[in-house]
Amino acid sequence: MSSTKKVIVVSNAFLLTSGIEKLVLELSGMLVDQVFYGSEKKLSDKIISKKPEFVIIDPDAVSDILIPLLRELNEEKDIKIIGLVSSTSSRKIISRFSFTLNVEKSKYQLVEAFQKIVGKEEKKKSNNDQLLSKREKEILQHLAMGLTNQEIANKFFLSVHTIMTHRKKITRKLGIKTLSGLTVYALINNLVDMREVERRV
Amino acid sequence: MLLEKEMKLADVIHHDYNLVPIINRFGIMLGFGDDSIEAICKKEQINIDFFLTILNAFHDPQYLDNDYLQSFSASLLIDYLQKTHRYYLQNKIPEIEGLIKEMKSEFELDNVSYNLLQKFFIEYKNELINHIENEENRVYPYVIDLENAGHGHPISATLISRIKKYPIHSYEAEHEDVEEKLTDLKNIIIKYLPPSKSQRIRFRLLKELTVLEKDLNDHARIEDLILVPKVEILENLVISKQHL
Repeated sequence: MSSTKKVIVVSNAFLLTSGIEKLVLELSGMLVDQVFYGSEKKLSDKIISKKPEFVIIDPDAVSDILIPLLRELNEEKDIKIIGLVSSTSSRKIISRFSFTLNVEKSKYQLVEAFQKIVGKEEKKKSNNDQLLSKREKEILQHLAMGLTNQEIANKFFLSVHTIMTHRKKITRKLGIKTLSGLTVYALINNLVDMREVERRV
Repeated sequence: MLLEKEMKLADVIHHDYNLVPIINRFGIMLGFGDDSIEAICKKEQINIDFFLTILNAFHDPQYLDNDYLQSFSASLLIDYLQKTHRYYLQNKIPEIEGLIKEMKSEFELDNVSYNLLQKFFIEYKNELINHIENEENRVYPYVIDLENAGHGHPISATLISRIKKYPIHSYEAEHEDVEEKLTDLKNIIIKYLPPSKSQRIRFRLLKELTVLEKDLNDHARIEDLILVPKVEILENLVISKQHL
């Protein structure tokens, strides 16, 4: 099994939230990481910082900020956004979501629909396990030695943007986000030598 | 479950052990007998609305919403937040540092890993201290000034320009890096530290970090969902008052 998938829920309605939590439990390897109210400040920043795989949004909970919220979330390519809709939802709202779940469906219809959304994701990621590629290891080594993204980019004749992309992948694979955390990982795994790290610092 | 003033505090603690550090922050010591929350608050001179809000917020993350803003003062809230800071710095951090040292003395860690772990934790600690000092030295005095101005104290020009230049919402979202380091630390301990024969202390360390993480999250939530909206109301009030 691949790693646990995080789901963030944006909803004000308790009954709806509880139902979603139950639905998510039906799918193996998924959990609801946090529930936000639609009125919370800097909602999209908070959601993105949680690095969820899925965000389930009740459009009613965010009514007038739906469009900016979706715009900001859509910039994060790793996040799949699922809208909760019903037969009375306007077509305009439904069309804003790439994935939807209809709240009026029965349990197993919902499980099946949800599985389909998750499944599309699964196939794409299956050959991409937790091991670092050769290039990612090299970049990690240089990060641990204290080089900046720019310096690493120059060294490998790559763009800073490419280095950032590699770095995001490294973080996702290892579950370590901060530079000092990555350095500790590199040292424990003998990717770099303590002297090389200290020389730069 | 909603925690209410008629309940016995002992039953509440049986129901949710995580609330022990919270009651401690309010100065309630274990050994309080069979009293209700209300009786204990009266005895200890604790504002009961505020106490119940904080208890419920820690007990159920979905409890907080904006209806609770008016029942207590900003200074009461800040006093509580400062006590929480003291709890992190004087209790939690030394406890965790002690466990890291103990891991070494009990041979659960080789020298290299110990040095790495310790250095990483010191970095984390310094960031946490910086964050706390920034709040206590810059944000909290500002909130107190606002509250005083809202209660009829003279409104200074400095305060007005501060509201316009650095309103409270400019301080939000500063928790992040501190949180990230803690998550990294947990991942290093769970996944990447070389295994050792005995891991007794490693388990305790992981548990302490998890408890601290939850507490910090709840703390940040209280700031975001109670303090910030409350301060925004005060900011607007003071701005509207200056012309009177």
